[in-house]
Amino acid sequence: MLSRQRAANLVVVMVLAGVVLAAAETRKDYRFKVGRHANISILNQYGPVSVKAGARKQVIVTAILHSDKVEVDQGQSGSRVTLLSHLLPGADETTGQVEYEVLVPADASVTLHSMTGPLHVEKLHGDVILEGNTANVDVRDVSDGHVHVKTLNGPVTLTNVVDGHVEITSLSGDVVLNAVSGPLVEVNSNSGKINYDGDFGGEGEYSLTSHTGDIEATAPGDASIDVTARSEQGKVVSDFSLQPKHTSFPIRAGSAFAGTVGKAASSVRLLSFSGKIHLKKRQTN
Amino acid sequence: MTCQEFERALPDVIGGDRVFEQEQHLRSCPACKSLVSDLNAISQQARSLQDCEEPSPRVWNSIEIALRQEGLIRQLSPRELAKVHTFPSRWRSAWLLPVAAALLVAAGIVQYERGSSQRIAQRPPAATLPPSQPPAIEVANAADDQRLLQAVGERAPAMKAAYEANLENVNSYIRDAEESVKNNPNDEEAQQYLSNAYEQRAMLYEMALDRTLP
Repeated sequence: MLSRQRAANLVVVMVLAGVVLAAAETRKDYRFKVGRHANISILNQYGPVSVKAGARKQVIVTAILHSDKVEVDQGQSGSRVTLLSHLLPGADETTGQVEYEVLVPADASVTLHSMTGPLHVEKLHGDVILEGNTANVDVRDVSDGHVHVKTLNGPVTLTNVVDGHVEITSLSGDVVLNAVSGPLVEVNSNSGKINYDGDFGGEGEYSLTSHTGDIEATAPGDASIDVTARSEQGKVVSDFSLQPKHTSFPIRAGSAFAGTVGKAASSVRLLSFSGKIHLKKRQTN
Repeated sequence: MTCQEFERALPDVIGGDRVFEQEQHLRSCPACKSLVSDLNAISQQARSLQDCEEPSPRVWNSIEIALRQEGLIRQLSPRELAKVHTFPSRWRSAWLLPVAAALLVAAGIVQYERGSSQRIAQRPPAATLPPSQPPAIEVANAADDQRLLQAVGERAPAMKAAYEANLENVNSYIRDAEESVKNNPNDEEAQQYLSNAYEQRAMLYEMALDRTLP
């Protein structure tokens, strides 16, 4: 009986706490009229930012401020829109949090800065620049634009990003690329793992490099690649039978391989100083 | 400020003498920001390669022989040489623009290097240090790292541990890459490791000192 009473009291306290917290939150809505190839820049130290394609010629922003210790500074100059989460004295990671939901024209370019994130971008054709310290970065269904990502620890996931330049520098966050192809795909990692699952298409240049992080790349059996893989101290394995090619370094079995598959349309470099490298062949049913 | 105006002021920007307009443009223009970041990374890498010995002429000859064998270069016939000399004058001047741009960038790097070299030159040269002391450039980098971590500790104490761990990983990468380049100066992959390592270090510094974040 006593424990039931305690449980009931706990529920009441939690509900009241939720109400208080919700009451402290403030919602702000902004609309901006823009032209073609608009440029949207958002700086949000704490909290998620989600950007998706919306109507042409307008940017619609919904910001949920978690306390009165943060305010949103917004500005517009032509088709350039900037939003800044301005932390007031006494703000911390909880009270300084702002959640952004943004709809932009599909051809807009987007720049997002955050410490904690997460950062999410979807269905755009413009350039995407994302910087975060520990932010989880997720980019999907982006085509024709350049995608630049820089993180310290935050994991990075790109899905269906095609026909643009992709440049990712992530020190210790893992990088996952699913169906990513284009003229240039570069990943520079330190200890984070790199996982690529795609077709290395587009006659592009693919460079996946790390210091200690493992690299796993999966491609179809009919891939058309000129591949070089090398690890100074880690194990290197290929599931493909490669046509040998000349290299500027000696090929030590188990530490390096180099060769071509098919017509060698794309150039692929898999380099790790001490991580393992595995070029896998995707099984077709 | 336009990108063209910003590029004209690149030597000052790289040298650290930025005015407010340039700072503003750097924050709002991803292309110029990326350019400055790349130039800083190149400059840092160039600093570390200053003391490397030039390869002997025999190495360049070997490279030339290999390129000829692969058909990537060949000796021009007298007829082809004559065509080169009668190249239309408008094409002679067309290449001036990218060359001028390259010279501007190189001048910016040289000016930046002069500033850095003066700092390094004031320290005793590595050859005169007792064997147990690290090279001057490592001492300078370690001091910079301490200042960086101190700045991060003041602005965002919760992030200091993460920056410290990542800085250690990046410096380890640089050491491994430098050793690799030293052992194999003509190894392209070794040079790629070093370039990547310095790019990571430049990114780390840029993110830590980004005044727009706490």
